Amino acid sequence: MAIASGGGHWVQLMRLRPAWEGLDVFYVSLDPSSAVDVPGHRYYTIRDASRKQKWAFLLVAASLLRILLRERPAVVITTGSAPALVAIVLARKLFGARTIWIDSIANAERLSTSGQKAGAVADVWLTQWPELARGEGRHPEFWGAVL
Amino acid sequence: MIFVTVGSMFPFDRLIRVMDDWAATAAPGRILAQIGHGSYVPRHMEHVRRLSQADFTATMAASDLIVAHAGMGTVITAGRVGRPLVLLPRIEKWGEHTTDHQIATANWLRGKPGIFIADTDADLPGAIAAAQRAGGQDATLPPHADPAFTDRLRAAILGFLDQTAGPRT
Repeated sequence: MAIASGGGHWVQLMRLRPAWEGLDVFYVSLDPSSAVDVPGHRYYTIRDASRKQKWAFLLVAASLLRILLRERPAVVITTGSAPALVAIVLARKLFGARTIWIDSIANAERLSTSGQKAGAVADVWLTQWPELARGEGRHPEFWGAVL
Repeated sequence: MIFVTVGSMFPFDRLIRVMDDWAATAAPGRILAQIGHGSYVPRHMEHVRRLSQADFTATMAASDLIVAHAGMGTVITAGRVGRPLVLLPRIEKWGEHTTDHQIATANWLRGKPGIFIADTDADLPGAIAAAQRAGGQDATLPPHADPAFTDRLRAAILGFLDQTAGPRT
């Protein structure tokens, strides 16, 4: 399962496609029109919700649960944002999926809030900025960047 | 054509208003503005609320210059089609985004070929003039990330799939 919010998150996910080329993959994002980017693949849309909109967030969690029940992905990979954090938490806790979080390249000076939380559930936890992969305490790894 | 875009997430009335004022006096020919659910409706530029992913890319490819918020979707797509790009970062304290990360993005991209940063509204006309003088971005961006990065991700994914599948006979 490859999931990303709309706009820049989706564009970054598309740049990582060689990582799962030829594997059985389905996609989840926000904009129905993004389906044209992944012809021949199953593509699901969810509504957008920020961490602060509680009800919208529950609806997003419910749609994600439906998708996960149907697809049972073994691996979930994402470039963010908040709805994708819900996806990796559900996939990890309820279905035992292995999860990969790649924080957006837009977060050059500190991880996104969702990215910080993802550290607790992601099997692979990445930043695209080497500076953010150093220092005291728990921090993500740096494996490279989409640009 | 000049394409002005605020991206797919939040409105950015400040950019649209400044560009509308500029269009009224500079009369630079056709301008299309994608304004999202902004409340300011431009009077001196054509506008659309949103574009599909495919139309967004096609519009970028058809423009001579792109003026935008400092969002990575816009930056990467403009790089793919090799068009010059002027960026005005969104400011958190004015409610334009949830954090000030676009300022960091603008600082990182400052001085890259084909990219021109306007830190303030007043910088926009100068940045546009510089972009028009410079023409297109030097090289168009390849479609995918560095293979060293995607190869490592692929190895991790294959490793996980192996573990899930259990011992093979």
